[in-house]
Amino acid sequence: MRHLSVSLVVLLLAVFLGSNVFAGDTFDLVVPLPLTGKQAKFGEMMKKSYEIAAEEINAKGGIRKKKIALSFEDSGAKPETARSIVEKLIDTKKQPIIVGEYTSACAKAVAAVAEERKTPYLIVASADDDITQKNYKYVFRQNQVNAHYGDSVIDFIRQVVKPKTMAILYESSAFGTSGAEGMMKDAEKAGIKVLLKEKYEAGSVDFKPLLSKVKATRPDVIYMVSYVMDASLLMKQIKELRIDARLFAGGAAGFAIPEFIANAKDAAEYVITATLWTPQLKYPGAKEYSEKYKKKYGDYPSYHGASAYSALYVVKDALERAKDWTPDGIRTALKATNTMTAFGPVRFEDKEGYQNQNFIDTFVLQVIKGAHETIWPEKYASRKYIYPMLAWRERK
Amino acid sequence: MTSSQLEVLLQTVISGLLLGGLYALIGIGMTLIMGVMKIINLAHGELMMVGMYIAYVLFSWFHIDPYLSILIAAPALFVLGILLQKFLINPVMKVDAIIPENQVILTVGIGMVLANLATITFSSDYKTTPVDYATKAWYLSDIWKASPIELSLSLPWSVSFCFALMITAALWFFLSRTDMGKSIRATAQDKDAALLMGVNVEKMRVITFGLGSAIVGAAGCLFIPIYYLYPDLGGQFTLIAFVITILGGLGSTVGAIVGGLILGVFESLTSTYAGMGWAPVGRFMIFIAALIFVPGGIISLFKKRKFGK
Repeated sequence: MRHLSVSLVVLLLAVFLGSNVFAGDTFDLVVPLPLTGKQAKFGEMMKKSYEIAAEEINAKGGIRKKKIALSFEDSGAKPETARSIVEKLIDTKKQPIIVGEYTSACAKAVAAVAEERKTPYLIVASADDDITQKNYKYVFRQNQVNAHYGDSVIDFIRQVVKPKTMAILYESSAFGTSGAEGMMKDAEKAGIKVLLKEKYEAGSVDFKPLLSKVKATRPDVIYMVSYVMDASLLMKQIKELRIDARLFAGGAAGFAIPEFIANAKDAAEYVITATLWTPQLKYPGAKEYSEKYKKKYGDYPSYHGASAYSALYVVKDALERAKDWTPDGIRTALKATNTMTAFGPVRFEDKEGYQNQNFIDTFVLQVIKGAHETIWPEKYASRKYIYPMLAWRERK
Repeated sequence: MTSSQLEVLLQTVISGLLLGGLYALIGIGMTLIMGVMKIINLAHGELMMVGMYIAYVLFSWFHIDPYLSILIAAPALFVLGILLQKFLINPVMKVDAIIPENQVILTVGIGMVLANLATITFSSDYKTTPVDYATKAWYLSDIWKASPIELSLSLPWSVSFCFALMITAALWFFLSRTDMGKSIRATAQDKDAALLMGVNVEKMRVITFGLGSAIVGAAGCLFIPIYYLYPDLGGQFTLIAFVITILGGLGSTVGAIVGGLILGVFESLTSTYAGMGWAPVGRFMIFIAALIFVPGGIISLFKKRKFGK
């Protein structure tokens, strides 16, 4: 009798705990994100985008009739916090799939936990190459890897600018370093000599010492990999020092968001940047999403938002196809994903040493008259690029 | 040395001096508080952040230039500093606590509260005051056409630098020439003796904290046109202020200026010649070197001329 009651309690407990996620007719999804600290800007944008997607999905009846109950946990862009959030989600909340995070450092931490606990993790906007090079079975990445961020930029540079030399400046983070490495290799392949490759600490006040060194080497192209405010500070100080390279190029992130133009103002003009997505693209739903976002929050989203928005649709797609909503069931379904989203086509492939990686086109934006315009590849262009650009002295 | 090498060197030194001037202003507030009250105010950077938010609000709502907002931000921070000292720090200083230096821990707490209040009120977005003159600069080749090298001097950086010097000069005058300034210095030198001489030590402490806060608030207003603003920005500047205070000597305004300039130039030189990733390393090397070789700070090197100490 006693034996029976114990096992009954255990059973009840197991049912209670196990069914936590699926209790009622909601599917609880907790997303770890940086909502405070230096990366909060991106976290906010992604949070808003997840919310838009969840609203849309719920309005159309949810996933297999279950409404998505979305909530967020702030990781403050700290890997150790992100790690403990996800451990909690998997171990105690039994969430069968993890979506989220932003910085590469956090995504790496989360990926390690997810793999260890055999729970699928969908990466949305973290670009460091080696996250999907570790033979992880449970880690999927929807955004392009850093090594390919510059693909279209280098293509543009080779076909239009044809430079001989280049200087690379990057922030000393996982994202910055891998972006700089990627560009370095691409440049060498294209026969461009890299005169200078220098890192800086994010949040620096004064870049002028570094920039005057860059100026002295007279590179044809200056390529920069930076997060949000460093990007505008760099361009402002480049203008101050009147460094006349033939082209200023940014590696996505800080250069690709509207704040870059708002802060750097006229110093941002003609700067090109890699990006993974623009509101001007003709993917199904891209325009609707960006208009909705703009109507609600007053500004167009960058690729971070679009990727987050689409990630929820990828999850929906996988959950609808999954045999059961266990981590392994969802993993199998994710692996077989072949869908079109507002962010572009999503398919998780194993190639070039990457696993479960979605390879999609990247684009080049140029700031023309104070707005980001898609200029490359030419078939997607919303405007003709401006090259060569005016020297600083000749600009008003 | 070729002309382009010379150009790099001169440009680096110019940026270093401009940066150092601003660093000095951030450091002075801390050194003042540390000298008089013997406590390390680790909420210093957060107070600067508050000053910057005041400048930001004035700019974006009323279109008041950040430089003009010093007139509002500095008094506001003065009041804030007085309130903090009167109602939080003074009571804690009087208590015999289990942990030593509990006021220091208190200031850390104050800093956290300020940063989180800012996050709640303004969200954690980056804020800027995009002024028209943000990228204006003077160029050597504009003035001297045949110049073999090109140097540039940024307008907002120079203005901030000059303001910083003016505020420092005013402070020096206040400390060395006025009654109240002398009382503050007396409190800093020997609290008990000052008390016996009829100085209201309690009041001097309150005023000093207010003054230190006001100065760093002004520094915030000078910083915002050339930098940007977010709630967690305080920490890095607290650290810089701390290094300057140790480098310059506790409680010495002149030491803080010299310390700030040295730190600025040294950081710029490391950025140029060792790589920008090394700048923070340089900063802490100076810090350690100061602790080992000049434990009294730079000011102890010119012992005979003790301004404002």
